[in-house]
Amino acid sequence: MDEAGRRGALAFETCHPVVPAVYFAGVIGIGIFTLQPVFAAISVVGALCFAVCCTGWRRALAQLRWQLPMVALVCLANPLFSQSGLTVLATLGPVTVRLEALAYGLCMGASLVCMLQWVANAAHVLTEDRLLELSGTRLPVVTTMVSMAIQLVPQLRRRFGVVESARGACTSAQAPRKGGRVHASTVLMAWAMEDSLERADSMRARGWELGGRRTGYRLEPLRGSDVAAAVAVGLLAFAAALAAYVAQAEWSFYPTMPALRPWWGYVPFALLALLPTALTLVLRLKEGRLGSVENR
Amino acid sequence: MSKTDETDEATGAGEKGVRPTSEPALGLRGVSFSYARPEGEPELAAGAPLVLDHADLSVPQGAFALLVGGTGSGKTTLLRLCKPEIRPEGELSGMVSILGRDVRGLSPRESAGLVGYVFQSPDSQIVCDSVWHELAFGLENLGVPQDQMRRRVAETCYFFGMEPWFHKRCASLSGGQRQLLALASVLCMRPRLLLLDEPTSMLDPVAEKSFLSLLFRVNRELGCTVVVATHNPGPMLDYASVAFAMEGGRPYQVPLGSLAGEPDLLTQGDATAPQTTASPPRASRVVRASGAWLRYEREAPWVLRGCDLELRSGEVRALVGGNGSGKSTLIMAVAGMLRLQRGHVSNALSGSQALLPQSPKALLSQPSASEELMEWSSSAGYTREQMLALAESFGLTDALDRHPYDLSGGQQQLLAFAKLLLTRPKLLLLDEPTKGLDNAARSLVATHVRQAAARGATVLLSTHDVAFASAVADTCSLLFDGQVALTQPAGQFFSESWVWHA
Repeated sequence: MDEAGRRGALAFETCHPVVPAVYFAGVIGIGIFTLQPVFAAISVVGALCFAVCCTGWRRALAQLRWQLPMVALVCLANPLFSQSGLTVLATLGPVTVRLEALAYGLCMGASLVCMLQWVANAAHVLTEDRLLELSGTRLPVVTTMVSMAIQLVPQLRRRFGVVESARGACTSAQAPRKGGRVHASTVLMAWAMEDSLERADSMRARGWELGGRRTGYRLEPLRGSDVAAAVAVGLLAFAAALAAYVAQAEWSFYPTMPALRPWWGYVPFALLALLPTALTLVLRLKEGRLGSVENR
Repeated sequence: MSKTDETDEATGAGEKGVRPTSEPALGLRGVSFSYARPEGEPELAAGAPLVLDHADLSVPQGAFALLVGGTGSGKTTLLRLCKPEIRPEGELSGMVSILGRDVRGLSPRESAGLVGYVFQSPDSQIVCDSVWHELAFGLENLGVPQDQMRRRVAETCYFFGMEPWFHKRCASLSGGQRQLLALASVLCMRPRLLLLDEPTSMLDPVAEKSFLSLLFRVNRELGCTVVVATHNPGPMLDYASVAFAMEGGRPYQVPLGSLAGEPDLLTQGDATAPQTTASPPRASRVVRASGAWLRYEREAPWVLRGCDLELRSGEVRALVGGNGSGKSTLIMAVAGMLRLQRGHVSNALSGSQALLPQSPKALLSQPSASEELMEWSSSAGYTREQMLALAESFGLTDALDRHPYDLSGGQQQLLAFAKLLLTRPKLLLLDEPTKGLDNAARSLVATHVRQAAARGATVLLSTHDVAFASAVADTCSLLFDGQVALTQPAGQFFSESWVWHA
């Protein structure tokens, strides 16, 4: 949230979190259940474009440093395990490399990395705050626990540094260094337990465990337009899912791959995958901050 | 009118029936309390010791009351007895009343809305991850309807000027901001009586003052009765309207003026007291930092910006300066815990140094205080007798069998300090050694720092505590903008200073 001031507008930023939730559920769901080259390619393009919107060129490109080797690894590893397919490209000792197996690996690796990228994008849009808002008041214990965990993790990490270095700095003790990590975790545990007693009191003092109906503070109200947007996104995702189902049924890597033809069925998914990028571009054009994509 | 009634109904904690009356906001009549013994401990013939002994107290409505007393005087117990949800286990007799109502007759819902409680530690009383969620937490628990909840959160934010950090993560706030958030999230529930247990002892003086001035506004402008338990009433005297001192388990009303002034931290004529002569003896140089530049992350601002520091053997040096001026960072850099980006630090005593971090808990890991003190006995070479003698001089003899975490914060600090002293370090690095300590404990720390210096140890300490620094330090350095702005003999520094004066 603190970053919002430095970058331009981002899709779904100004609507209720239910809209991006529907969107990402749709795009990630389709991505997971479809293994077809065109769908995979569309998904990769959509994920990368939106990653650029979220984090800027530099970081998105930096991500490729691990993403590309990962794709290559899965792509090259697949022929080792799969001996299906008819088009033999080469024979390296006991391993026969076939085109279909390579293509399958490429498609698999690309989908895998691209799903990770979609999840990272989703995390940019659906911050912890907004996720908690989605869960509403139905699960107060879970919501409070998650909220507490989010704030305690940085504290724990900071304390780990303090404990480790404080002990290391006391050279006059001449204490052996072994068991340092174990020691640190003992201290951290005791410290956290101690804190939790006061935190429990602080919660009780503010009416936790009262019973009765609990309400939830709504940061963003759910408007009619949000519902309409969520339904529209949902319908688009549904159409894309139907097309994906048909495409998946007609496609197979083994024994040979059918030829790919232009098909109107790719359109809904292409719209879906590029939607957040397009929205972001429109918003930034209106803001006159298109340049901010590069200027970061 | 019907609207307000509706609100009261809905929140369950409304202001009905508590129109201004002559009833005291907080009343104690003949209250005695003793803690329940843990199971398995033998029964004493005389029963458990009384923490409160026939205590009587009456805090009028609208008062800003101080409850003054050292560690273990029963302040916290007294406050907690007024809040049924967090009442300690034990035997209670007599009557505690809030606005004329017996607390035993208060439902948890009424108590949650009527009495607010702010705890000592800024770290452990925050529950939620973000500021807005923390503010709404109590209201959500009470089931306050959406528009009322928004109104109260909005008004509280406005009152405290918290709008700029409404969306921030609690973890990213400073200690002072977190403590203010704790106060605000309690005030959202619109309590009539606000109890605070050492709310500022973990804050630096600047944060303490801004917290207190806001607390004062809560008291005057919102008409909320405030009771603050503290061992350091000095900074609060300007705001308080009445003060009580805890003695022998009873609060006695005392005039506010009697609480002013600083007690002497070192006994008069202490042979180890710092030399008042202008120039310290020219001993050999043991620590030298030159042109030290340091930042924690690549994009982060510099914390040290070309910092220079020299320590001579046997010197006690105090570092003073505002928050974020780099005091702790400089100490850690001298200790070799941080890597400089530029410049260098040489430390001739790096093989025999000891560092007391701001949180003493970082050094405590053993199941009992005596084991804690003996942890390094074989490696550092000291005996049980030496340990017992030191523990006695710190007043920790009775605490030796207890778990370190069962000790008070002040005792934990003394325990960690004693643990370091046993190793006879030649360089003592102390990061805010008197933070949160009462006068007795501060005096013990002061005495032992001077004794260590008399033994030949070099001491570098950071502090906000002017009285402590002027009692123990030979020289004083002012840190500003990541540099040592000036170093002077301590007496001269504090007498010339505009803001730091004892």
